[in-house]
Amino acid sequence: MTKLDVNVIIGGPQGGGIDTSANLMSRAFAFSGFDIFSTREFHSNIKGRHSYVHIRARDTKVQGLKYPPDILVALDPDTIFEHFEDIGKGTKVIYDSSFATSELSQARMIMRDTASRIKSVLDENKLENNVNGMLEYMKSHGGILFPIPFEEIVRKAVDDGVPNRYYNTLGAAITLSIIGIELESTKEAIKHIFGGKEKVIAPNLKVVDEAYKYAQDNKLAGESAGKNAKLSQFLLTGNDGAAIGKLMGGLRFQTYYPITPASDESSILEEHEAVKWLSGEAETLGSGGVTIVQTEDEISAVVMAAGAAMTGTRSATATSGPGFSLMAEGISFAGMDEIPLVITLYQRGGPSTGLPTRNGQSDLLFALNTGHGEFPRIVLSSGDVRECIYDSIKALNYAQRYQLPVLHLIDKNLANTTELVDGIDVKKEKIYGRNEPDGNGIYKRYSLDTKDGVSAMGSYGKNIFWLTGDEHDELGHVTEDTVMREAQMEKRFRKVKVAAAEIPVEEKAVIYGDKNAKITIVTWGSQKGPAIEAAEILSKQGINCRILYLRMFMPFPSEFVEKELRAGQTNIIVESNMLGQAAQVIRMNTGVDISNRILKYNGRHVTVDELVDGVKRIVQGKEKEVVLKNGA
Amino acid sequence: MAHNFRTDLAIDWCPGCGDFGILTSMIQALGEMNYGPQDAVVISGIGCSGKTPHYVNLAGAHTLHGRGIPFATGVKLANPKLKVLVTGGDGDLLSIGAGHFVAEGRRNTGLTIILFDNEVYGLTKGQASPTMPLGMQTKSLSKPNVYNRVNPVAMALAAGYSFVARGFSFDTKQLKEIIKRGLMNDGSSLIDVLQPCPTYNNINTMEFYRQRVYKLEDDKSWDPIITESTKDPMEKYKLANSKALEWDEKIPTGIFMENRTIPSFTRRLNEYIPNYLTSPPATQAISDSKGYTIVDPVRTFADKIV
Repeated sequence: MTKLDVNVIIGGPQGGGIDTSANLMSRAFAFSGFDIFSTREFHSNIKGRHSYVHIRARDTKVQGLKYPPDILVALDPDTIFEHFEDIGKGTKVIYDSSFATSELSQARMIMRDTASRIKSVLDENKLENNVNGMLEYMKSHGGILFPIPFEEIVRKAVDDGVPNRYYNTLGAAITLSIIGIELESTKEAIKHIFGGKEKVIAPNLKVVDEAYKYAQDNKLAGESAGKNAKLSQFLLTGNDGAAIGKLMGGLRFQTYYPITPASDESSILEEHEAVKWLSGEAETLGSGGVTIVQTEDEISAVVMAAGAAMTGTRSATATSGPGFSLMAEGISFAGMDEIPLVITLYQRGGPSTGLPTRNGQSDLLFALNTGHGEFPRIVLSSGDVRECIYDSIKALNYAQRYQLPVLHLIDKNLANTTELVDGIDVKKEKIYGRNEPDGNGIYKRYSLDTKDGVSAMGSYGKNIFWLTGDEHDELGHVTEDTVMREAQMEKRFRKVKVAAAEIPVEEKAVIYGDKNAKITIVTWGSQKGPAIEAAEILSKQGINCRILYLRMFMPFPSEFVEKELRAGQTNIIVESNMLGQAAQVIRMNTGVDISNRILKYNGRHVTVDELVDGVKRIVQGKEKEVVLKNGA
Repeated sequence: MAHNFRTDLAIDWCPGCGDFGILTSMIQALGEMNYGPQDAVVISGIGCSGKTPHYVNLAGAHTLHGRGIPFATGVKLANPKLKVLVTGGDGDLLSIGAGHFVAEGRRNTGLTIILFDNEVYGLTKGQASPTMPLGMQTKSLSKPNVYNRVNPVAMALAAGYSFVARGFSFDTKQLKEIIKRGLMNDGSSLIDVLQPCPTYNNINTMEFYRQRVYKLEDDKSWDPIITESTKDPMEKYKLANSKALEWDEKIPTGIFMENRTIPSFTRRLNEYIPNYLTSPPATQAISDSKGYTIVDPVRTFADKIV
């Protein structure tokens, strides 16, 4: 096993092939046997504005990103300007040498507020308002410059009128060479990402060859990072994970209205609508595919999925904040009518349109309270790609078992995080069967003769029953009778108690790290990985801490959380929002007030290093609340 | 024995309400179509029309205001074998649910939508609805209507419904036939039903309509059907539109257009999703005999493997 732990930020214009660069790098790392973890940051824009991928490769399991990066790769001048704060001691800055004299005033795609911050830094340091000036600034902060003649190298490789179409391949290849990734892995990666397109593969391979040759000739190439055994693995985003899990979990009907960052999940499902079945018995059972419907709005999306659910089909929808707001009435309806329905809620920065392409965890309290009236629901949250897969199966199971809306929270950062997943276990979760009524005539859909509050669930096309958003009797007809009203309310809420008792505590909250540590970092969602690594680093530095990671907010593991929080000395909440919403949920359920808070609400992902720093500042008694600032 | 399509619930519409005629026509149409109790469902939104599913002895849903169409679409797409009827008022389908009304025309899913058109919001005490003309003042309004009206038949034609018709709730014989034709249509059918509200609309009364309605089919040359062999479909579409605009003195009822060349949404999906019509979502197995998934993530998502 060879050692490697490298963090790279590669940036360029949106639509300029950054994804290809990132895909190339992640595959080259994977083909060399390294683990990878990356996330993507982008503007709400189709072409032109700054976009970047932060990727980390490591010889052991990686679950968070380090900051500042070891390497910054700039495919355009904007990247140099935008990442002016992202340089640490020894950060290598790889860029096209022709950028040197590009003026800040010409970088029109940089947001005005950002440009004015950049200008102030250059002016304060009496530097030219161009790339050269910024490179000087980076040097003074420890950056090491790697000017690369992009056009010259591409022209050597391909005789093509538009050399800049290969800049993304070149930037990635030069970087991989500097890191010491073997040429063969990079070439294998090219073949993989352009699968089958020989006309695209050939020139790109030539560019890779020239990039490696240039690095070799100019003594830039790193010492070989070596190669580990390669496993057959999935390279998946959180969106991919949710799509795969839903399909495995029996989803056959999904609705959506286009919205970032949720609609990628539905697009992925649609691209795989021709489902392949496992061999053996499964092959004899499997037929058809999955139906994905783009609706006219999110109101339709949630209600249409509810309609499909009543035919006995496992149904779901996926959305983000603004769309979720529109779904409120439909969720209340699903609660009232006990409709098994999964809503995957991709959180992004709010309120309103907010930061449509940036991270946030500010919809937790809303998810717990969406919709008018009182009705039972389950609210769970995922923190890494594997959890996105298996939690999606669980969510469909919970919906069926308890016949209620299940809200599955995934944050934007996780949606766009790419991880290697070594194998998917098709026997990890069983599919919960539907408890169908006997016979096929009229039956009592909302029968009160039930211990756990769950009644048999018939289906359209087989049974006769009614449902209404009004309070109803056992058949599903409207009632305003006082006694029936009380009985149906009590029936619905019996399911919450049953769910709380049946769902094992480890599906609700988990402790990571030294169980006896006196410092407890409480977190949820995509901070899971960074927090676990931060705790490892802190523990090595003598600050022994552990993670209390929350996975389910309704039903809430009150007893467990209270016991754990009262056992330690210092509790610190880490969340990507301003109000400390999970801390509020904890206090509401347990009475425990967590006064130490590490929060982030600039819309960017939490890095391991800023978390380590934040915990230190709190533990050393300097601050009660730390606001994290990393990210361009 | 033929299925009894009536439930034994007491119907709480006002005496003289046009809704009774619609319910009767629906039930007769369902009987004459020889549907069994598992063949059809009735879906509604909110309002007086919203109560209809409870009065029909078929599975049904009385959903949210304006949301009958999306719920029904979900039912139909998950189980295309079902006949799905939607009952909705003019406020329900053309105001709060207007977006769904238009989208459904584009989809042409295969719903039979019956629009209870009485120009007022009855259950909330007579406010003006989207089909009430500008300046009209019913007894429940404090001043004349300040909105203009929308024409449901013209709107349905513009939205792309493959079957567009109008009935009158006091002519149950004609309405029953129209509903039957709508149920036979593979795509979505919009049936606008003139339905007097005896409590809040003292202008558009039964007498008002009786004096004005005439049947398109009374003109023996009237042929609203468009098929692949129709020579000039655009001419028929234009004619349907011009008939749709008739109001005031003479109000046409009957079938304005039945366009059999527009494929239904379920047929469109069947082009792409393997075996969609023979193995729709509702009839698919999702687990093996031991309860495990039958989906192979490796072969289904082979493109995600490195």
